[in-house]
Amino acid sequence: MSWVDFSGHAYLVAFILYCVAFMFYVIAIAGQKWSNRDSKHHIARWGRTSFIVSSAGLAAHLTFFFTRWYGSGQIPTSNMYEFMSFLAMAVMIAFTIIYAIYRKPLLGMFATPLAVIIVAYASVFPKDVQPLIPSLDSYWLKIHVTTAALGEAFFAVGFAAGLMYLLRVVDYTRKDDQARKQQRWIEYTLYTIVVVVGFISIVFAFRGAGYEAHFTQENISIDTQGQTITNTEQVEYNLPPIFKPYNSHADSADSFLGLEKLQIETPSWMKGVNAGRKLNTVIWSIVAGSLLYAVLRLIFRKPLGAVIRPHMDGVNPSDLDEISYRAIAIGFPVFTLGALIFAMIWANEAWGRFWGWDPKEVWALITWLFYSVYLHFRLSRGWQGLRSAWLSVIGFVIVWFTLIGVNLIIAGLHSYAGV
Amino acid sequence: MFQNTKCECGHQNPPDTLLCESCGKPQTEVAEDAPLEMRYDGMARRSQKRNPNPLDLVWNFFSSVKIAIIIIIITLVGAAIGTIYPQGNTAEYYEQTYGWGGKLYHQLGLSSMYDSWWFVGLLVMIGTSLVICSLDRVLPLYRALSKQQIRKHLMFITRQKTVYTGPVEGNAEQWVQELAGHMKRRRYRVHTDGTALLAEKNRFSRWGPYINHIGLIVLLLALLARTIPDWKMEETIAVRDGETVQVPGTNYYVKNEKFTVEYYEEKELPDRLKNQERPKMYKTEAILYQCVQSCGEPGIDPVLEPVKNYDIIVNHPLSHKGVKLYQIGYDDQPLLKAVKPVIEDKQSGKVYGPFDLPMKDPQTEFTVGPYSLSLKAQYMEFSLNDEGNPVTLSRDPKAPAFIFMVKGPGIDAAGEPYMYFPLQKDKERFRQDVINRDLAPKVEIRVDGMENVSFTSYTSYLLVRVDRALTYVWAGLGICMLGLLMGAYWHHRRIWLRVDNGVLSLGAHTNKNHFGMRADVAWALAQMKIEVDKDKLDNGGYNS
Amino acid sequence: MGKYRKPIQIVIMLGVLLLGGYAIGEALFASSDSDRPEVGSAAPNFTLLDLTGKQHQLSDYKGKAVVLNFWGSFCPPCVKEMPEFERQYLKWKDKPFEILAVNLSEGDLTVNNFVKDFDLSYPILRDANKMIERRYGLEQYPSTFFIKPDGTIMDIFVGGMTEQDIDERIEKLLQT
Repeated sequence: MSWVDFSGHAYLVAFILYCVAFMFYVIAIAGQKWSNRDSKHHIARWGRTSFIVSSAGLAAHLTFFFTRWYGSGQIPTSNMYEFMSFLAMAVMIAFTIIYAIYRKPLLGMFATPLAVIIVAYASVFPKDVQPLIPSLDSYWLKIHVTTAALGEAFFAVGFAAGLMYLLRVVDYTRKDDQARKQQRWIEYTLYTIVVVVGFISIVFAFRGAGYEAHFTQENISIDTQGQTITNTEQVEYNLPPIFKPYNSHADSADSFLGLEKLQIETPSWMKGVNAGRKLNTVIWSIVAGSLLYAVLRLIFRKPLGAVIRPHMDGVNPSDLDEISYRAIAIGFPVFTLGALIFAMIWANEAWGRFWGWDPKEVWALITWLFYSVYLHFRLSRGWQGLRSAWLSVIGFVIVWFTLIGVNLIIAGLHSYAGV
Repeated sequence: MFQNTKCECGHQNPPDTLLCESCGKPQTEVAEDAPLEMRYDGMARRSQKRNPNPLDLVWNFFSSVKIAIIIIIITLVGAAIGTIYPQGNTAEYYEQTYGWGGKLYHQLGLSSMYDSWWFVGLLVMIGTSLVICSLDRVLPLYRALSKQQIRKHLMFITRQKTVYTGPVEGNAEQWVQELAGHMKRRRYRVHTDGTALLAEKNRFSRWGPYINHIGLIVLLLALLARTIPDWKMEETIAVRDGETVQVPGTNYYVKNEKFTVEYYEEKELPDRLKNQERPKMYKTEAILYQCVQSCGEPGIDPVLEPVKNYDIIVNHPLSHKGVKLYQIGYDDQPLLKAVKPVIEDKQSGKVYGPFDLPMKDPQTEFTVGPYSLSLKAQYMEFSLNDEGNPVTLSRDPKAPAFIFMVKGPGIDAAGEPYMYFPLQKDKERFRQDVINRDLAPKVEIRVDGMENVSFTSYTSYLLVRVDRALTYVWAGLGICMLGLLMGAYWHHRRIWLRVDNGVLSLGAHTNKNHFGMRADVAWALAQMKIEVDKDKLDNGGYNS
Repeated sequence: MGKYRKPIQIVIMLGVLLLGGYAIGEALFASSDSDRPEVGSAAPNFTLLDLTGKQHQLSDYKGKAVVLNFWGSFCPPCVKEMPEFERQYLKWKDKPFEILAVNLSEGDLTVNNFVKDFDLSYPILRDANKMIERRYGLEQYPSTFFIKPDGTIMDIFVGGMTEQDIDERIEKLLQT
């Protein structure tokens, strides 16, 4: 067994441990109200157990990271799979640091599922070790990517705490417009998370079934001499095609509910052979996520926020507000250093300019500007509690767009393989 | 309107002061008992004059954090819009690629967003706001923190976010002194005034945000400085193997001694990428020369002195006195550099030579054995035009051809023309033997063996950069980072207490991390045998 | 800030106005590629040798109208327009006027043969290693710069020129 294979097993162990830790954290927090239990004793005991389990998960995750590094000879942060799994690890590290400061098990209840989702999300992407292109072959790859990811991980913890705060304080008994608006937005946030879970499940479901469809796209372009050039590109789908690539024909397609006959053509303005595949994936995620959400609603017969809300009773909202802010305040300098300063130093070494308005750079700047707005609102304008929590949620959406959306929609110099 | 701004302690405060500068008594009637607003220590943020002149109006505009936030948000949204389509292409490109959306995008000027006047204007406004906001706040704050009164108004103490009141036994002054001793062990700076105490730590962290802002201002100025002529230069040069090229805009020359590319081996590639040529590393073994004499004089070769040998690799630029050379790419089309052909006397089978024939500026007269050759014409990329005349298609030796006038045994005394193609493929394509019909059976010019052919196989593309503002950019970023670290990872903590008639009133304030503040207070009280649950110290109200 | 408040305010606002104005002005008026010569800007100076070894410095031609042509034997439109330039040269020769034709870094033999074939009488200058060509930011050949007696560029023509094209411009050039 090679080191890389071994690291894959460690990754699976980490995933399982995170899942278990999540359940334990839920028991630790929600179980406080269970009958015949001393709440303080319960939370101390279960909180400790949960933390041990999640730390064991982190240890397994670190094992994954270093064995893969050793096995592949390059730091595993260079494609989407590696970066996302590193981000999940950074979230757990950030969580551990915040936990060390506040010793509140309730944070684990939201940080571990976040890690679980990101770990699973990472597994969607191709896992092979990809050799570096020369411009990535630099020690700055290690420094820049890890620091930036750690900064983002703190923002993720800030988001988790902010979302918890919202779930804790938004009053589901109130029916006025203001309260309804809050409820709707929380529900929408939860729905988005469910869509991500839906995306992961659908990819794994069809991967398990070994689904494949192949398309050939013909691109016609006119060169400067006025000659027509036709070149063909192949693309492989791993989800049944609702949308096929623009101007393409199927070479082969496994059948699934007759969908392979439907095949709407991707609009021409979505460029590139992969545009159809990306659009198809997005549609599938929304369909699967919505179905999953509908099932959950049918089971509980009330908004998901209202389902979670009662379990949050034992939590001090002011603690959550403080933790969310603290995580962001700790993450902000780390992010500045990793995503902007180190990035600029490296860009200057590799490309000969420290700033080039590449979409990824711009979005890192936007993230930074947004969190600086957050800090100014909080420190100078006294935006705390509810408004601050919403900002932390929006901030994380921006972080996520910077990480995923830019690659999915805009791309540029930072195009990771396999998105 | 006259406003009485004198506090009951006798201190004269500036207008709009929230908390008395001296004793801390709240100066405005706010909700009783609620924790006090402690930002900037309750100092008047700016003297809002009753009759502001235009200068004051502009000043006040930029002094507002609300305005600053709005400017940042506009910048943020603008920057985001700029990423919708790639920047800096032509109008036709946008319309062809993205249809009417792209056309509109270009017409609105969004295609060169980041150096548009209004985006630069936003950055200027951010810069202005940074200066004015900071100045208007840091000065009063500095004043407030540098002359703090130890004995604060009771209302100030009991309305902090972290408070404790309780009885104290024994001599109050001794009690205070003892507590002071404990606080010092926790690295607090302690000042006492009879039965009142002020303990403070990490005041420097309050300057963090302002230092951060100074760094950002330095950064913005550095970016502005890059528009000064000669501060910034960017050029691409192509240097072939073995060639020496002047570094544009400087007195330096760079020679490409040797260019090498390494590819990934098959076993290093995952299945998906097998059978692909994936470059692993490419480098230019470069020598940097400085011109010491006859620089820029036409027709005379400059006298060069080597200054540096360096292997230029991606991520490892050559750097010399502010000039940097980056490896940005390469081209692997091989071009002929020189050949060493021989002449064969077809009749006798005797071979003469070889002689040197470089592609670039060859000599025109050759004597080889009994033959004399006179070079009449040279074509770098030989071709025939529509009229059937020989022409060259480019200035690079892609398909070189030479026309010699040959004299020698068995050849017309006036000389006969001989066309020579060094490359075998051209020789066949243009049918050298047919062109040389009369001479072809008598002599042949040819190259024997590859050792007599030299190629330059690669062209190395180097980016030349001069950026004199770079030092200031790094300095700005460094200062900015320092400020951030100071402000984010250290917290200014202060504890005020006074004992009045055996009753201890304690209030504590921090700009961040009230958990830590409460823990410190609980610890200090525990040293004095007062056990409190640290969460009970919380007076409610906002975190910050 | 006390009594210095007002002077400080004024100094800072002035600084902002100056620097900000410079920054915005730079963004408004800066040309896209700053170093490249454009119509209206001064033609970059150079010193080059002609085929006889004589030095020609552009600044020596101040007070004269100069047609600066970049050509190569490898570029058919360049070849085509050379005789047209020759005719124009002979026509305007007596006016304060000069044609400088810069060869695009080709070999001696090639250039000499070419000039002999076409029997050109105006100075042919030899660029080396594409230095001057780069300084003029050339992207296509031929390119011709029409330089006024004061040394600024009146017009830039990219592509082959007919005799009429040249004639019109020289006439305009001589009127300035």
